[in-house]
Amino acid sequence: MSWSDPARRFEPAEDVQLRAELRDLLGLGPVAARAPEVPTAELTALAEDLRREALRRRRTERRRPTWGLLAAAALPLLAVLTGLGAWGFQQKHRADGLALQAQRQEQELTRMAATHAAEVAKERQAKEEVQQQLQLASKQGGRKAEPYLVIPVEKPMKFQGDDYQRVKAKPQQ
Amino acid sequence: MEQSSQETPFGSQEAFHGAFAELYPRLVSYARRYGATFPEDIAQEAFVILMQREVRVEHPTAFLYGTVRTLSLTERRPMKNQNLSLEAVSEPGLAGGADDQVLNQEVRERMRLLSPTFREALWLFVVEGLSIREIADILGIPEATVKTRIHRAKAQLKDQLNPTGGVHVLV
Repeated sequence: MSWSDPARRFEPAEDVQLRAELRDLLGLGPVAARAPEVPTAELTALAEDLRREALRRRRTERRRPTWGLLAAAALPLLAVLTGLGAWGFQQKHRADGLALQAQRQEQELTRMAATHAAEVAKERQAKEEVQQQLQLASKQGGRKAEPYLVIPVEKPMKFQGDDYQRVKAKPQQ
Repeated sequence: MEQSSQETPFGSQEAFHGAFAELYPRLVSYARRYGATFPEDIAQEAFVILMQREVRVEHPTAFLYGTVRTLSLTERRPMKNQNLSLEAVSEPGLAGGADDQVLNQEVRERMRLLSPTFREALWLFVVEGLSIREIADILGIPEATVKTRIHRAKAQLKDQLNPTGGVHVLV
């Protein structure tokens, strides 16, 4: 063979033996060493035509993008995605902080409202107590609060007029 | 590894011419066995595809056979029978080429009786003289599977030769 093919150059002996056995079974006889084909002018011309055609196709074919080019093309997209991811993560972190802050503020407002309500209730209760005491005092004290001095006098036996004498109180200085 | 424009998958240009002279008729015959309408075109296209590749092909012979097989099957795809698998070998008139003149009627009959799957591997191994590795590349199956198919073909051939029975060991 005038040209080399490693697959056949290093064929194991057992494969050669197997081929011989099979040829024998088929009745083909032993393997005859082929004489190298002498390329005719026609075949050589055809081979050259095919070689030129292959070269032409190789030059004109649209090259497929290699992995490097694909990676380079994907790099901006990757950068954008990374940026978006970082921005999104930052936004989420910020939103979490704001939510926590709002929750705390709400808790504080609730607490203040509860305190205020308790104080209001306490004041209301105190007011009610004062009113009760005032009512009680007014019941017990009668006209204490009146701005006149009332001097009770003994009732005359036979007197049809007023049974008391009104004296105007001295104004306090 | 890339190859320069002057270098061919077979080495120098002289080596390429020698390889072309040897392989081209066999590839045409191989394409014809798959029932290709234009076997010469398919064989030439296979060479162009091989030469077109910038990366060096490790086994150019296997690549050529595999490409011819694929192109032939693709050409036949619109037709009814897609599982030809070298069925045409046994059909008189369809098989052609220099190798068919070597195969007499008895050999053809023995090949015909084999199952198509085993026949294909056996044909490539025995008649085309390809290595196990090359056949594995062509058929797209592991080398162990190729070996198994060839050994089973061998067992079937032995059964044909000894139809009355007898035990043989699958080696």
